Amino acid sequence: MTSVPLLLSPLWLTWKNSFFRDGGSWTRRLLLAALAILFWLGTFLVIRRVLRYFETVYELGPELAYQLLLIILLTFLSMLLFSNLVASLSTYFMARDLDLLRSAPVSSNSFFYARLINTTVNSSWMVLFFTVPIFAAYESVFGGGWRLYLWVALILPLFLIIPAALGTLVTHLLVYFLPAKRIRDILFFIGLFAFLIMYLLFRFSQPERLMQPESFGSFMQFLSAMETPSSPFLPSSWSAEIFAGTLFKRDTDSIFFFALLASYALFLPLVTSWISGAVYLDGWSKAQESRQGRRKLAWLDNTLEWITRPFPEFTRAIMLKDIKTFLRDTTQWSQLFLLLALIVVYLYNFKVLPLDRSPMAAGTLRAIVSFANLGLAGFVLSAIAIRFAFPAISLEGKAFWILQTSPISLRSLLWSKFWLNFVPLLVLGEVLVFLSNLLLRVPSWMMFLSLITIFLMTIGIAAIGVGVGAMYPKFEFDNAAEIPTSFGGAVCMMVSIAFVGVMVMIEAWPIYQLTLASLRPGRVMAPTFWVVAPSLAIITALTAAAVVFSLQLGIRRLEQLRE
Amino acid sequence: MIQLINLTKHYGKLAAVDGLDLEVPAGEIFGFLGPNGAGKTTTIRVMMGILKATSGQVLLDGHNVVTDAQKAKAITGFIPDRPFMYEKLSGCEFLEFVGKLHGVEPARLKPRIAELLEQLELTPWKDELIESYSHGMKQRLIICASLVHKPRILIVDEPMVGMDPKGARTLKDLFSDLARNGTTIFMSTHSIGVAEEICHRIGIIQKGRLIACGSMAELYRLAAGNPDNLEGVFLELTREQEFESMAARQRL
Repeated sequence: MTSVPLLLSPLWLTWKNSFFRDGGSWTRRLLLAALAILFWLGTFLVIRRVLRYFETVYELGPELAYQLLLIILLTFLSMLLFSNLVASLSTYFMARDLDLLRSAPVSSNSFFYARLINTTVNSSWMVLFFTVPIFAAYESVFGGGWRLYLWVALILPLFLIIPAALGTLVTHLLVYFLPAKRIRDILFFIGLFAFLIMYLLFRFSQPERLMQPESFGSFMQFLSAMETPSSPFLPSSWSAEIFAGTLFKRDTDSIFFFALLASYALFLPLVTSWISGAVYLDGWSKAQESRQGRRKLAWLDNTLEWITRPFPEFTRAIMLKDIKTFLRDTTQWSQLFLLLALIVVYLYNFKVLPLDRSPMAAGTLRAIVSFANLGLAGFVLSAIAIRFAFPAISLEGKAFWILQTSPISLRSLLWSKFWLNFVPLLVLGEVLVFLSNLLLRVPSWMMFLSLITIFLMTIGIAAIGVGVGAMYPKFEFDNAAEIPTSFGGAVCMMVSIAFVGVMVMIEAWPIYQLTLASLRPGRVMAPTFWVVAPSLAIITALTAAAVVFSLQLGIRRLEQLRE
Repeated sequence: MIQLINLTKHYGKLAAVDGLDLEVPAGEIFGFLGPNGAGKTTTIRVMMGILKATSGQVLLDGHNVVTDAQKAKAITGFIPDRPFMYEKLSGCEFLEFVGKLHGVEPARLKPRIAELLEQLELTPWKDELIESYSHGMKQRLIICASLVHKPRILIVDEPMVGMDPKGARTLKDLFSDLARNGTTIFMSTHSIGVAEEICHRIGIIQKGRLIACGSMAELYRLAAGNPDNLEGVFLELTREQEFESMAARQRL
C-alpha cells in the first residue's frame, strides 16, 4: 500500500507543473477564478433567497428546507454515481498510462486504491464546488455555526467515497462482461437521456409558478412527492438526518447515522477491491481487444453525396469528411438530442407565457416579446455555434497537416467549414423564430422582419464561430468537449453575443415605429419600405463586415502557423 | 531466463499468437522478427502481463508473469512501441516516478538517473517538461526509464523507429554492453540490419506461429542457403510459409 501516494504523484506533479511552469496567462486564470467566484456567490445568494422565502413567508421553513436538502443530496448522489461509472471506466480501463503502470511491479491493491482516489477526485470536484455555497446558505439562514461545517467536513468524504466505490464496482463487472468501448457509448446515452428527461420534467413542472402564491399548494404536493425517494437506505438520507440535527435542532441520532455512513464508506471500497482483484486483469485485457467495427451505410453515403453536389469538389470533400466523422462519433451526433430538447423547451416557454394577464396591451406585448425573441434566438444560435462551428478547425487536430500540405487555400477550407455550420444553424434559427412567432401570433410584418434578421444573424454567427475558431485553434486535445471551453471559446462567445446585441439594437427603431403605428386606432399600418430598409441595409452591412473580418483574421492566424 | 510455454492469444476467432514455445538464456539478445500483424507486439504485451494469454504461460527468470506478477515485473524493463509519458512532468520527475515504482532505493535512485541521463545525452534537458522534448529525446528518455532499476531482462518493442543514425548506434552499443553484463534482451524489430548486427539468435514469427528460430548460420541453413543475407532469409522463409497456407486453403 506504500505506493498509493507514489501512483498518485504524476497527477499532483501534472497539476503543479501545469500551474507553475506552463506558460499560461495569469489574466486567463484570474478570469476563470473570477467566474468561479461569481458562480459560487450566485449559487449562495439564490439558495439563501429560497431558504429565506421558505422561512419568512410560511411557517414551515425548516420542514421545506429539510426537504430541499434531501432533494439536493439525492441529486448529488445520483450524479456522483453516474459520473463515477464514467470516470472509473476511464481511469481503470482506458487511461493512456495503464501500460506503463501495469508493466511495473505494482501490487493490485495499491493500483486499485490509487485509481479509486483518482476516480473520486475526477468525478466529485464539481459536487464539492457546489456543496460549499449551499451549506453556507443553509448556515446563514438556519445557523449551526462551526458544528455544521465540522459535520460537512466529516460527512462529505464518506458521501463521495460510497458512490465512487459503487460506480467502480459496477464498471468492473460491466467490463468483465461487455466490451469497454461499447459500455462507454451506453453510459453516455444513459447520461444524456437522464439529463434530457430531468431537463424536460423540470421545465414542464413550471417552476415559475412558485412565485405565484396561489400555486404554492401544488408546490407543496411536489415536495411531498419528492419526499418518497428519500429512502432510509440511501446515504443521502443519512447525511440529511445528521445535518438536520445541527441546522433545525432536530432530535436525531447523528452518531448512529455517521457510523452507518462510515461503515459503508469503508465496506464498499473493500468489497470492490476484492472483486477488482478477481476480475480486473480479464476485464482490462478484454478492454484492449474490443474493436468497434461499423457497417458502412451506402444509402447515407449516397444521400450525403447528393446533398453536397452543389459545392465545389474540394469544399465537398471537406464537408463529406466532416459530416461522416460527426455521424460516426457517438458523442458528437447524440448532441442532436440535446438540440431537440432545447427546441421543445424554447417553444414551450412561448406557449406558457401569460401574455393575457399582463396589464400592457396584448399587441404591444407580443411585439416586444417577439423582438426579445430575436435576441434570445441569436443567443441560442451563438451557444450552439460555440459547440459546433468554433471547434471546426481545431477538430482537424493532429491531422491538420493533411490539409496544410494539400494544394488548397485556407480560404476554401474556412468557407467549407462555414457552409457546413451555416446550413444547420439557419434551419434551426428559422424554425425557432418562425414557430415562436406563430405561437405569439405576431403580425406578418414582424414575422417577415424576424425571419430576415435571423437569416443575416446566422450568417454572422457561423462566420464568427469558424473565424474565431481558426484564430484560436486547439489541435491537441483529449476530448472534443475541451475545445469550446478554452479561452478562444470565451472570446468567440463574447464577440458573437456582441454581434447579436448590435443587430437587435439596430432593429429596435423600425420595430418601435411599426408597433406604435399599428396601435393607432382606426389605422391599419403596413410597413413602409423606408421604415424597414435603412435598418435592413445596416444589418446586412454589419453581417458582411462580421463575415469578412472573422474569416480574414482566422485565415491570417492559420497562415502564421506555417511560419 | 525467458520462457514462453505453448503461449496462445486469441482475439475472438483470430489466433494472434498460436502455441509459441521459446526459451531465451541469460545474457542473450534475441531478435523477434516478423511481418506486420504477425503477432510480435501481442506476444510482448502478454510477456509484460499487459494482455492476458488465452492459454500457456510466460516465465521471467522462473516467475510466472500472471501468478507471480510483481516479482516478474520487478526484474524486467520494458520499452513499448508507442510509449506513454506524462507530458507535464519533467524528464527527471518521470524517471524518479518509474524508479520508485520499481522499488529503487532513494539513495541509489538519483545517481542512477544522473548516470542514465548522461549516457543517453539528456542531462541538459532533465528539468524540462517532457512535452517540449523531440521525438528522439522522448525515445531516449523511455530507454532511461526502462533501465532505471537495472533490469535483468529487457523487453523491447521496435526500439529504432524514428531514431537518427547516432541514436541508433548508441542504442545498439548499449544493448550489446547490457548483454555482456548478463542482461537478457528480447527485442522485436522490423530492422533486419539491427537484428543481424547485434542479435545472438533470431526468431521469425508469422501468423502467430514461430516459423524459424536459431542463430544466423542456422537460419541460412533453413532457407536452403539461397539468400546471402538475413533479409533474403526472412523473405524466403515467410514466403514459403505463405505458399503453404495458400496450398492448405486450396485443399480445403
